Amino acid sequence: MAAIESFDGIYLDLSTSSGKCRFAETGLGWKPAGGGDTFTLDHEQIASAQWSRAARGYEIKILSRESRIIQLDGFQQEDHDRLSKIFKNWYSTVLENKEHALRGWNWGKAEFGKAELSFNVQNRPAFEVPYSEISNTNLAGRNEVAVEFSLPSDKNDTGTNGQLGGARGKGKKAGAGKDQLVEMRFYIPGTVTKKEVDGDDA
Amino acid sequence: AKNGTEVKKFKRFESYKRDNQLPPKVRDLSVVVDTKNNTVVLPVMGRPVPFHINTIKNASKSDEGEWSFLRVNFLSPGQGVGRKDDQPFEDATAHFLRSLTFRSTDGDRYEEIALQISNMKRDVVKKEQEKKEMED
Repeated sequence: MAAIESFDGIYLDLSTSSGKCRFAETGLGWKPAGGGDTFTLDHEQIASAQWSRAARGYEIKILSRESRIIQLDGFQQEDHDRLSKIFKNWYSTVLENKEHALRGWNWGKAEFGKAELSFNVQNRPAFEVPYSEISNTNLAGRNEVAVEFSLPSDKNDTGTNGQLGGARGKGKKAGAGKDQLVEMRFYIPGTVTKKEVDGDDA
Repeated sequence: AKNGTEVKKFKRFESYKRDNQLPPKVRDLSVVVDTKNNTVVLPVMGRPVPFHINTIKNASKSDEGEWSFLRVNFLSPGQGVGRKDDQPFEDATAHFLRSLTFRSTDGDRYEEIALQISNMKRDVVKKEQEKKEMED
């Protein structure tokens, strides 16, 4: 393998502009196409990595040792084997293939992972929400949980001080794109108390 | 229906089988109405997430200052309004996504999307009704 493997048209953390993603034995880097600051991640920081379909193309989602989620979107399907080798040979990490649910169902199981909440439909995630993006949660009603997202004050507020090609810093991901996620609500069936059951029957 | 009593049954449905069926417009990280597949694709943290029209209860648009909001409500147990909850579910003990709310500065677009979703819902219900009448 070459000492550096390079990929163009990659978006870092839902960035507005694409950039070049480079992998070397020591770690990976991303630089916006228009120039500017480079994001780097040391190979020792890589705890696990997943390969999934995302918005721009295929995405590598890395969980760092600090429980941070790093999203790199825009890879081609045919890049998979090359990237799989990079992660295996250089980072001793399996690039786990994670297929997402496409059935279009709204029922499943909300599960809490290390760094994110995952809503699984038939054991496949439909979507994930990193805890870092949640600003508030509350019990909105009987069996209803509301999750609110932290939103930037304006579109230029990326949490990266305008650096990194508009990549989204911690707590700013909901602000990416023209449709910004404000809130999601879940129905979580609880245990109905004996008293309530009796009351309904009466 | 048999015995003169009607029990609504849950019918399975599916938006997509493979990810290459997702509309190309999902690139923009925006709400995409895919009428052909009876599906609305909603962006959640950079991932296009399909929701079949059968899971959607309604969609509405509201305004607050410079922002417009699009709220999509989904069907879930315990929502029966004014009558017994007769909506069938495959698994009523599952967790359900009940709503997703987005904001944007483009209110006209949200107006249009809410209308498209309402129309899609109306057409599906109508088709279902026609099918039932044919069977009877």
